[in-house]
Amino acid sequence: MNGTSRRQALKTTSCGFGYLALAGIAAEAAAAGHPNSPLAPKTPHFAPKAKRVIFLCMRGGPSHVDTFDYKPELETHAGKSPGEVEGATSQKGRKLKPSPWKFRQHGDSGLPISDLYPNLSKHADDLCLINGAHTTLPNHPQALVQLHTGQFQFVRPSVGSWVLYGLGTENQDLPGFITLKPPARLGGAQNYGSAFLPAVYQGTAIGSNGQPINQAKIGNISNGRFDAATQRSQLDLLQNANRDLLKRHDPHPELEGVIESYELAFRMQTAVPKLMDISDETAGTLKQYGINQGRTDDFGRMCLMARRFAEAGVRYIELTHEGWDQHNGLSARLEANCGATDKPIAGLIADLKQRDLLKDTLIIWSGEFGRTPAVRRDDGRDHNATGFSVWMAGGGVKGGMRYGATDDFGITAVENKFHTHDLHATTLHLLGLDHTQLTYRYAGRDFRLTDVHGNIAEDIIG
Amino acid sequence: MRLLSVLGLLACVPLLADEPPPEQLEFFEKKIRPVLVKECYSCHSAQAKSVKGSLLLDTREGIRRGGENGHGVVPGNLEESLVIEAIRYEGLEMPPGKQLPEYVIRDLEKWVRMGAADPREGKSAPIRRTIDFEKARDFWSFQPIEAPQPPKATAWSAEAIDRFVLERLNAAGLKPSADAEPRIFMRRLYFDLIGLPPTPEQVSEFVESPTAGTLQEIVDRLLSSDQFGERWARHWMDVVRYAESTGMERNYTYPEAWRYRDYLITAFNSDLPFDQFLTEQIAGDLLSFGNNGERDRHLIATGMLAMGPKSLNERDREKFAMDIVDEQIDVVSRAFLGLTASCARCHDHKFDPIPQKEYYQLAGIFRSTQTFYGTDGGGGNRQGGRLLALRDDEVVPVAVNGANSKKNARSNVKKLTAQLAAQKKRLKRFSDQPKANPKQVEQTKKAITRIEKQLAAAKGILDAPADNANHGLVMAVQDNGNPADTQVRIRGEANERGESVPRGFLTIATLGAATQPTDKSSGRRELTDWLLAKENPLTARVAVNRIWQHLFGQGIVRTVNNFGANGDRPSHPELLDHLATQFVTQDQWSVKSMLRRIVLSRTYRQGSTPVAAAIERDPQNRLLWRMNPRRLEAEALRDAVLAVSGTLDLSPGEKSIVQTVGNGDVGRNLRPDQFDSSDPKRSIYLPIVRGVVPEMLRVFDFPEPSIIAGARDVTTVPTQALYMMNSPFVTQQSSEMAARLLESDNSDEGRIRFAYELALSRPATDAEVERSLDFITTASEKNAQEEESEMTAWAGFCQVLLASAEFRYLE
Repeated sequence: MNGTSRRQALKTTSCGFGYLALAGIAAEAAAAGHPNSPLAPKTPHFAPKAKRVIFLCMRGGPSHVDTFDYKPELETHAGKSPGEVEGATSQKGRKLKPSPWKFRQHGDSGLPISDLYPNLSKHADDLCLINGAHTTLPNHPQALVQLHTGQFQFVRPSVGSWVLYGLGTENQDLPGFITLKPPARLGGAQNYGSAFLPAVYQGTAIGSNGQPINQAKIGNISNGRFDAATQRSQLDLLQNANRDLLKRHDPHPELEGVIESYELAFRMQTAVPKLMDISDETAGTLKQYGINQGRTDDFGRMCLMARRFAEAGVRYIELTHEGWDQHNGLSARLEANCGATDKPIAGLIADLKQRDLLKDTLIIWSGEFGRTPAVRRDDGRDHNATGFSVWMAGGGVKGGMRYGATDDFGITAVENKFHTHDLHATTLHLLGLDHTQLTYRYAGRDFRLTDVHGNIAEDIIG
Repeated sequence: MRLLSVLGLLACVPLLADEPPPEQLEFFEKKIRPVLVKECYSCHSAQAKSVKGSLLLDTREGIRRGGENGHGVVPGNLEESLVIEAIRYEGLEMPPGKQLPEYVIRDLEKWVRMGAADPREGKSAPIRRTIDFEKARDFWSFQPIEAPQPPKATAWSAEAIDRFVLERLNAAGLKPSADAEPRIFMRRLYFDLIGLPPTPEQVSEFVESPTAGTLQEIVDRLLSSDQFGERWARHWMDVVRYAESTGMERNYTYPEAWRYRDYLITAFNSDLPFDQFLTEQIAGDLLSFGNNGERDRHLIATGMLAMGPKSLNERDREKFAMDIVDEQIDVVSRAFLGLTASCARCHDHKFDPIPQKEYYQLAGIFRSTQTFYGTDGGGGNRQGGRLLALRDDEVVPVAVNGANSKKNARSNVKKLTAQLAAQKKRLKRFSDQPKANPKQVEQTKKAITRIEKQLAAAKGILDAPADNANHGLVMAVQDNGNPADTQVRIRGEANERGESVPRGFLTIATLGAATQPTDKSSGRRELTDWLLAKENPLTARVAVNRIWQHLFGQGIVRTVNNFGANGDRPSHPELLDHLATQFVTQDQWSVKSMLRRIVLSRTYRQGSTPVAAAIERDPQNRLLWRMNPRRLEAEALRDAVLAVSGTLDLSPGEKSIVQTVGNGDVGRNLRPDQFDSSDPKRSIYLPIVRGVVPEMLRVFDFPEPSIIAGARDVTTVPTQALYMMNSPFVTQQSSEMAARLLESDNSDEGRIRFAYELALSRPATDAEVERSLDFITTASEKNAQEEESEMTAWAGFCQVLLASAEFRYLE
């Protein structure tokens, strides 16, 4: 079955998620009739390239020089200290360590990617490798919170909340911002919180670190007391009462909102579990994501869910993969992490492409920082915030491209430097939002995600 | 730093008066001047339309002097040259939007390194924004508080409040709404004063005798009930960002935060005058006291300054200290003054007349203060703090889990006992060996003596009377040993010190004389005097406006935390001043007296029914032609559910789950679910761990507890509906309520009517009874095979009442 006919088949099956996509459109229309809803779709500042984001958060700080930032000079100078070159005190007592993995060129573009990503590298021509990324501090807590909120000194809204505030969401039957297995620490809920933005913009967390995703659930989504029909008659009794009250108090937009929210909630009870239930996917699709295949199973399921959420109109989707903090055991542990995520991510790209969703879905892959090219221990790398790699795909970003660069050894970003603020500015830009205009008034002044920072990496936009 | 750099400059570059070498001037003309002209002059020259950052780059004098952030160029010193920092995009980013090409940046660096030769003569007048305070005081909130004469009484007015309101309504061609129905009014009054629904009996009391006398009796009873403080303390907890953990990137618990919560409840219940309340929270540690109980209460009150969010993983001590200071300035200035003084940390306030210098005058006060917050356990607690131990004879700082704690002692005893055994074994082995090395034997003997000593000491700690168990540990502040002024920090950077400024207050709100801080103490005591000075134009206004907001749903000034230029303007300026004056003079800062005055007014008593013509003219009800319909806050909603189901436990909460769980980093060595609570006590006693706010509260717009929240959001989202439909809490409570109904000696119809009275404080209509009966019959028939089908059906009906909009909204 090719992509087109699959989509047609789904659209005609009322219980597939083609149905959900349609329901999404219906809900959008419904929301359009209620412009008061804070989640109703909003017009962006200018024509967007991307309509939604899938953020693949590699928690811990993946090593860039072993994955996406090819540094042949490490080979040449292996075992030497980078001291004089960089003059950085933190480099004292460190020795340059070449990557234990081979890099090869892939695709028509010839992007160099290490052997750790045999499946993902097949999509090299869709990837935009941002090799000049850097962030403020090489500490997990601060860097992770900054990656998510732009700031670590104060509690600020998360990127997803800003996006939801700026754009609303397309499917009113579903949360507009979903985060799968977010970390409980290192900022915890702050990483998907709305801070001073209205609470309606906060992310909905599903699952937690360590819990298999197929056991995770959205809270309060099912009723333990009644079957659907009885619950419907219970809801009818409730809505009768609510409408009586509204009659006495018309106009009362908030009461209208309450009535509507109950109907939406009732629909969500069906829509969300259906969306999270992947049993209607073909064996081919499951295989493509590495589902039921050992170490790729869990993240494969998360990636497949991300596609289903994207397809159904969720605006901002984040997936967290933990455990990239390889101070020790780099060779085994990095291999394990890449092995667990390579096929699922490749599957996600292929699947989105097949469904013609990649063009307006922005995939972002990033950790909170990278890892030191020069090491203290033989088989481990430490935190490196001055230079690391991020990649993007789809959503109007040029594929098959390397943007920016670190120095010869991968220690410091030197060309087209791309700070976390620039990541945020560029993300918003691709979504049709001007990061200097997306503001919210709080405590007497207008706040924005990028504060006074942020440059758009124009060169990567297709 | 600054001095050193100047010396360095003199040593390594020619004196400024000397003519620079021609090749350097040539370099300037070729490589530097064109860049400055092209990239910088549009905002930083005498020709610029508006000069940004008070910085001129078109003369040598201008570029070297720099602007509000510091020197533009320091010859020979790249680090101190802000122009270099800015073009490198390290902090400042100039030119904005597009960084200069790499080679241009290198040229400019080279130029500065060589000595920044610059032939551009000419004077640049320093640009300094000066604030004209006299003019700034024209702004309404900085005007002295007047005692306006209330307009004439009318047949409608009961309190002076009503006369002010009526005058504005009349002027707009509007009239007040009729009094709310007695039962509706009782619901409003009970929720507003004690945060709980009235029982059916309490409703009938007023319905049967809706007189002024009955009303006064009820109001007095509510104000003196223990539940009053549990309601009103919570309002204040929003403002002072009460929470039981640090929040931020490492989330360490504050196990002793609950004491401050209890302090607030007691303060409101005992009607502690607001001036005293303010003073205790800012300077309680500096007040005289009659006995230790009073001393302890004063100290606990200062917990307000200690429980802000903290970035404990911060490596830079000075930055961490200045962040705490900033947080304290923020909470004090917004909570009491309605000013965002924190905005002046990095530069003069952009909108309000608060110079950066004055921010650092306040900062000196808090920098001379030591904050005891006590965090421990887990890594990343780089800036862990201590607590204060309250003893009979003294107050001493103690480490949360320091060397002398019992917990440590216990593990030490264990460790040392094992060590001792090992050494003794070793010695025995030596004694069995004739050829043992005498040196080793000697060492072992010494070790044994040392360990025995240590063991005795550890056991001593363990056997000592439980010191901290009887005497509390508190989060609080103290003056540090060396009260001193602090320096302006350039661009707010903690380590970039500018001139030192004397500790002091905000000029804009100083309308009378103010006593300045001395060398003897931090100056917090003087700060409270200044805040409470009768000439202070803000404190009383801000305080009464908060009270008003909680009774009407919106303040007279709607931005309750911001009385500055970006804030709202008062809808009734005379009324606000009238209330502020009454509060200070008549009421002697008594919150209960102020509340009594407002709830006995006709304005408060109005119905909330919409009136088309009035909505047309005043859609936001700024003029108060009716009572605003309001939604219950999360706590009131939860407490009401518990009250109606009959399970509410009104006894005060004891300490906090956080205290039981103890110290640690949430999400690291403490699991979020350790803070789950199913305790049916009032919601104010639920643990408020940052990032782990209880679900019910979070879903219903509880404010982010790191944020100084004056007013709550009211959002309506499906997650709230899902919570009411499916959550274990609502499911269980509706079953409890059903059990209560089934136990009542009633017919089915009677039970339904009773349920309506309980939940909604009104009789059910016949149509409602019929619909409800239908549902109950259908639901129990449907599940007839199940054992408790009837019970389940009734629970389903009760859930409808709890989930209804009417239950959640106050008319």
